[in-house]
Order: sequence, then structure tokens, then C-alpha cells
Amino acid sequence: MGSKHRIQITVNQEEYDLLVHPDRTLLDLLRYDLGLTGTKEGCDEGDCGACTVIVNGKVVTSCLILAVEVDGAAITTIEGLHQGDELHPIQQAFVDSGAVQCGFCTPGMILTTKALLDEIPDPSEEDIKHYLEGNLCRCTGYTKILDAVNIAIQQLK
Amino acid sequence: MDNYSIVGKRIPHRDAVEKAKGSAVFTSDIKLNGTLHGKILRSPVPHAQIRNIDISKAQKLKGVKAIITSKDTPQIKFSISPTWADKSILVDKKVRYIGDEIAAVAAVDEEFAEEALELIEVDWEELPAVFDPLEAMQPGAPLLHDAVENNISKTMTMECGSVEEGFAEADLIFEDTFQTQAQSHCSLETHCCIATCSPTDDVKIWVNSQAPHPLRQKLSAALNIDAAKIHVATPFIGGGFGSKIDLEPAQAICVLLAKKTGKPVKIEHSRKEQFMTTRMRHPTISKLKFGVKRDGTIVAKRAEVVIDNGAYNSHGPAVMAYNNVMFSTLYRVKNIKYEGQLVYTNKNWGGACRGYGDPQATFAQEVMMDMIAEGLKMDPIDLRLKNANIPNEITANAVKITSCGLKECLTQAREASGWIAKKAGKKKYRGLGVAAMIYTGGGSIGSGFNYSGATMQMNADGTFHLLMGAVDIGQGSNTILTQMAAEIMAVEPEAISLTTADTDTTFPCMGTFGSRVTFCAGNAVTEAANGLKQQLLENAAEMLEANPDDLEMKAKKIFVKGSPDKAVSYAEIGAASFYKKKKPLVAHGYYNGPEDVSAEFDPATYRGYPAPAMVFGTHLAEVEVDPATGKVEVLNFTAAHDLGRAINPLLVEGQIEGGAVQGIGWSLMEDLQFENGEIVNPNFHDYKMLTIKDIPRITSLLIETIDPNGPFGAKGIGECAMVPTAPAIVNAIYDAVGVRIKELPATSEKIFKGLKDK
Ligand code: FES
Ligand code: FES
Repeated sequence: MGSKHRIQITVNQEEYDLLVHPDRTLLDLLRYDLGLTGTKEGCDEGDCGACTVIVNGKVVTSCLILAVEVDGAAITTIEGLHQGDELHPIQQAFVDSGAVQCGFCTPGMILTTKALLDEIPDPSEEDIKHYLEGNLCRCTGYTKILDAVNIAIQQLK
Repeated sequence: MDNYSIVGKRIPHRDAVEKAKGSAVFTSDIKLNGTLHGKILRSPVPHAQIRNIDISKAQKLKGVKAIITSKDTPQIKFSISPTWADKSILVDKKVRYIGDEIAAVAAVDEEFAEEALELIEVDWEELPAVFDPLEAMQPGAPLLHDAVENNISKTMTMECGSVEEGFAEADLIFEDTFQTQAQSHCSLETHCCIATCSPTDDVKIWVNSQAPHPLRQKLSAALNIDAAKIHVATPFIGGGFGSKIDLEPAQAICVLLAKKTGKPVKIEHSRKEQFMTTRMRHPTISKLKFGVKRDGTIVAKRAEVVIDNGAYNSHGPAVMAYNNVMFSTLYRVKNIKYEGQLVYTNKNWGGACRGYGDPQATFAQEVMMDMIAEGLKMDPIDLRLKNANIPNEITANAVKITSCGLKECLTQAREASGWIAKKAGKKKYRGLGVAAMIYTGGGSIGSGFNYSGATMQMNADGTFHLLMGAVDIGQGSNTILTQMAAEIMAVEPEAISLTTADTDTTFPCMGTFGSRVTFCAGNAVTEAANGLKQQLLENAAEMLEANPDDLEMKAKKIFVKGSPDKAVSYAEIGAASFYKKKKPLVAHGYYNGPEDVSAEFDPATYRGYPAPAMVFGTHLAEVEVDPATGKVEVLNFTAAHDLGRAINPLLVEGQIEGGAVQGIGWSLMEDLQFENGEIVNPNFHDYKMLTIKDIPRITSLLIETIDPNGPFGAKGIGECAMVPTAPAIVNAIYDAVGVRIKELPATSEKIFKGLKDK
């Protein structure tokens, strides 16, 4: 296991000073050490996107990255998107479009959409599909997720 | 048209906000102090006799709190029905598939638990194994279960009329064989449970179950614990698709470990375990023979089906019954014969998987229908219309049909898809295919049970609380059932709070499967709400000194029709009931039907299948095939479903879109592959499901036939949405390039080979 490492990270604008095992994944750190269970584990193998978070503006599958690798980084999880009761427009668009069924893929989908729209505010359908390709959803058939992304684009303009 | 204000509205899922915020608590998110981690030692070989299990080394490992083997388990077997029970929680003498449970460990963390598993020494004698159901049926094949001859777990033969006479009467005979492959449910959340056991042996388990009340019964039976001492609670559930209905050995193991250690124990399947052990869709081989008249009338049909059961029964016999019923009941045919054989093999066991044997039957029958249409030079939609089921009819196999919109599904799908124009102006490599379906729209009382209960009460402040056994696994039952109650109470759905699927507080519900929740739980909820409404009116009548029949409910007030200024508010009625009359208002609803089960219902043949309503549908696909690679692109997809009434069109569309995409996946690429009993693609990298890149434009057509017995006329939809997808796609491929796929999935390789061989 080896001795613990000290890391400093910012999660949802809150600063943390932590001692972590070198083999602790970012996913487990978020879920079990920080109690941010909105980040989901669907495979632990980098294949489903349920564990997606944003690290320094880029989407990352947190099951594949070690906590020690994000030392110094700014991280956004699903819990960091809404302001109190007020949902972020992307969250609201997912709710209104019926894009949330079981909701297990939802945090990852929303964060990937956020990273996409931060980078490309007016994406083409191809851009959207390219970005969201790594996020699996078994419930919705993706149709209403596409609707949600398109509504969010309009809302954020 | 009925004038409803809440029913029929596009209202988002009531828990979507919590889920979008990441605050919805799923089983794995629950954290109890001192929780131990449970892990299961699974068989790495497909068939072996266990001589000895030595846990002594593992026991010495610091951090290990308990190890259990079959010695610690009551040797009681289970399946979904006690009559087919063949699976032990932890195997005693023999393992029968790669993944079979041998022993389990509870340790302070996952690492210790895993290390302990490695230290358990199992001494076995490997046995010859059999993986192909046709080989397994041969004399001399290795036997999985000693008492089961030729590995045939169950057979089912149903005949009505005489197929021999029917075939003799026919102008043309069509015969062919169709095969379907194993599919995995792939709910994004794997199986997970957390169990506690008090010093007085009271058990609580938080678990992602599609059927919490039956789970309590099954845990009770398998572990010899009084059911009243078991409390099953369901947090949010990340999808199921059939995988979370049956008792999962991990759940019983979790309880045993909690009992042994006195600590909370958590067991969570890895994705690989999920693929290895959670009951695949049964692969089938269906040999069909159809006799038809030149005008398209089907005079006789026969199916001989071999179903690959895998190592244990679970749902197998019931899946065979549904395979029979759905094959036999679709279309008006007088002479029908079904012969099914359910065969054990040394593989992952089959189970419930969206459609429950129906997608397999529908694939065979509906590709056959396409071949018949071609043989008769008839339009495939016309052929189906000619033989389509009609409302208010008892079928040849004694199934009662109430509402039926099959013809409307076919004609409206034809219209919406542009079928006629596209057929006339057919483009090279493009094709259209159609398929029809039938399924239950409200479960069935074939097992003797089809129950759902609900209680509704008025709070002292005039708001409402609804308690129901039904469990929402993402499909949206909490939303639509509350809509029904809100419509009756004349309030917004937000005025009703909910407690659901908790065995200590809600009336039982058989579970979320069989497309039964809208219908069965809907009937329970509407009964409870109507009962409460009556009490409300009676109380208001007393307070207003009026006749209850003259009253109107509006904006949380009750008044005599025409005199809204003299009203009592819900809040006043609530307060009076608690503090003055000391009789809080509460009403119950309980469904267990249908009650008018045909005398012809025969559990041995499933003739007279007793469902409260049947649903119908049509899928119509437009594809383009790349002749250089055989790759199929689904361009447009039309799905028409007779669902009685759409309580919430937004959610219904969600069911249809999700089902169609799951169906397209099964048609083209999803295939759980085995090599010598080992699954070679137990991950999302190698087991391909559709991504957002692969989806076509989907048009959902909601055909409202208003069922006489459904709540607000509604019937189920959940499973139906993927039943006719595969044959629609495969028929479209044939239309596009003339390659007839009879074995799913329709991979590019198969199509490319078909093109080359032409
Ligand atoms: S859990 Fe990380 S990609 Fe699936
Ligand atoms: S909503 Fe269930 S996996 Fe996407």
C-alpha cells in the first residue's frame, strides 16, 4: 500500500488538504472520503462515464485516475453545479426534457454536457454526439438526452 | 375526450431534480458506521465436484470478520417458484457454472476481503461440462442436476385446434429455424445490498430490488428466518430490466454475514460479476412451421423451441410459458401448437430480461411473417392486418382480449413512416421492415398472485400522503401513480408526498415486472384515492350541511356546486379529522387480478393465460446497409404502441425510446459470448451497447384504446417497447439488400457474408 501522500485540491470551490493512499482513485476519494456520492460507479473500468467529473475544465473518468494525480487541481462534481435550490440550466434542461429516468448516468451526462458547452457554446449535433459518446445510458435511449442538451444550449445563449 | 387536468400531462419525473443534483441516494451511497465489506468466492470452472473447502488460512487473516460456506447456509434451494427450486445460496457439493457461489467473506475493507478469498483453498474434481443445449439433450451428455434426465428441466406442450388439419388445409407451407442470443441487462447500477442484524435477529436490508416484497418472502424461505423479522427497504434504483427481480445469492449471503458478525455488511457486484452472474436473456432455437391460404390467412402455426436455461431455473419455466403464450396469441389463428424444452447448460443462468421470452418468440414469428408476405407477394403490413387480433375476443388458446389497437398501430405506423411512398421509390441499399407484437399490459395471475397495494391518507394540514408497495426503478411509476391520485383529489401532484416499496410500511406489491405497475398498482392507487375522496366529501358534507353528491372539489376546497364562496378547505377538513373527530382520513386500495380467470386456464400449458389486459404494438425500421462492409445504419424508427391511455406522454416516450434502443442493440450487436462456459466479454468495452452516436430518429405513436379495466384506461408499456424491434430491423435489412438474417445478432460480418454468397 505504501505511505499516504499529501494533496491539496479544490472541489466545488472548497479547498481540501488531504492525506491519501497512493492507490486511492479519485472516484473513491470523492465518494467515500469526501461523501460526494453524486459521482457514480458503473464499471470502475473507464467504459461507462457514470463517474465523470470535471478536472481543470476537462472531463475525466474518475475511476481511472488516482487521487495523487490531481494534486493542485480544481474539480467540479455534480454537487457543485446548482446554487442552493436553483438548478444549473443544464440540470434544469435534463429534468424538463425527461432525460432522467433511473438517474444513474445523469451526473456524468450533465457534467460532460457542461464541459462541452464551456468549450463549444454552440456545438453541432456531431460535436454533441462525439462528446457524449463515452457516457452510457441504458434507460432513455439517449433521445431525450439530446433534447436536453439542445435546450441547454438555447438557455445558455 | 375525457377532460383530465393532471392525467395525460407531460410532467417530468418527480425525482428528477434530486437525481440531477446528485443528491438522490442509491443503495451504494448509504454509509453505516462499522460497515464490513462482503465478497463472494465464485467458481472459476464450469462444472466440478467440490471435495473440500479449507478456510483455515483465510480465517487467520487479520481484518477478516467472518467466512461462510454451505455449512453455514440452510440447505434450502430457491428459484422464482418453490416448485422449480434448484439453486443453493452457497453450493454444497457441486458447481455448475463459472460464477457459482462457493464461499463468502466479510472483512474490514475490500482489500482484506479479496485477500481472504485468495486464501480459501478449494479441492475439486473437474467434471465434463456441456454448453450447447442441443448437445446437452443428447443421451450420455454430462448431467448438471442428477435427477434431471437429458438436462431437460421442463417441457411445455400446448395445442389448440389441430395443426395437422390446418397444414392440410393450407395452400402454402413455410418452415424455418431462427436463433437468438444471450443479452445482458446492463443496468448502469450493479447489484448492491447492505444488511444489518440486531441482537434480537431482526434483519434490515437496503437493496436495489425490483420486487422487495417477494424478496422478503424469498429471504425468509431461503434463510429460515421469519418474514416478519425481515425489513426490505429500497433506496433509488439504477435500472433493472428484469435483472433485479429474483433473489440474488449475494443478498442472502449479505444477511448471513451480518447475522454472523453483528455488523452492517455491504456487498456490491463489480461490473464483471454483474455480467457473469445476473441471469442473461435466454438464448433460443425456434423451429417454425406456418400454413397459409393464398389470401394471407394463417390457418395453422407450430413452434418447436429449445431454450438454453443455463445452470439453474430462476425464471426459466415462466419465460418458456411466456414464449409460448406470446407466440400463440399474436394473430387470429385457429390451429396452434407450441412445444418447448428448457435445457440446462453449464453457463450463466437465464432470467427475466425485458420482454420475458417474448422478444425471442416475436423475432422468429415476425421474420417468418416477412417471408410469408414475400412468398405471397403481399405487403407485409397487409398480411399482418389480415390476421390481426381484434378487441373483445377470446383467442383460440383461450386468452381474453379486452382493448386491442393492433390494427391502429399497424396503419398509423405505416402512415407516419411514409411506408407506401418509400416502398414505391425504393433506394438502393435502403430498406423498410415491420414487425408486430403482443404482451401483457398488467402482469398475470398465472402464479396465483398479481398483487399491488396502496394506502392514501390526509394529513392534518390538508395535504396527502400516499404509501404504495410499487417500486420505481427509473421507469417513472412514482410520477404516474401520483398523477392518478392527484387527478382524483383535484390537487397538484406536489401536494402528495410518498412512501414506496418498503416492506415494513407499505402494503405489498409483487414488483416491477411484467409491465404490470401502471395497471395493477394504478388500480390500487385509484381505489385508495377514490375511497379517500369519498371520505373527504362526506366530511365536507357534514361541515357544510349538504349532500355529498352535490359537492365539487376545486383548488383544495369543497363546496356545493355553483356556490364556491361557501366552501371548506382541505386544511379545515384535515384539521377537523385529526383534532375534532379524532378519526384521521385514510383509505386503502388493493389489486390482485384479474378475477375472472378463464376456467380453461391450465398452468401446465398456459392455455387461457390470465392477464388483466393485453397490449399490442408495431415497430417499423428504415435502414441503410453499406455493401462494402455489411454495416447497418438505422435511419428512422417508428414505434406505435397500444397502451390504453398515456398517463404521462413524456414518460411513455421515454419508455419507448429506451426500449427501442435496447432492442436495436440486441438486433445488431449485443451478444454475451461464451468460450467453454466463460464469458469472454464481461465488460462494456467488449460487450457493445448503443451509444448516443448510434441512435436513429425515433417517432413514438401512442395509441390510446382506453382499456375498460385499466386505471383511467391505461395498460403497461415498459417491456413491450423492445419486443418487436429485432424482427423490424432484420426485415428491413432483407428489404435493403436481400440478406435474410435468421440468427441474431445481425452483425456486419453476417450481412457481408450474405452479400458475398448471393
Ligand atoms: S465507473 Fe468510471 S467509467 Fe464507469
Ligand atoms: S437514466 Fe438510467 S442509465 Fe441513464
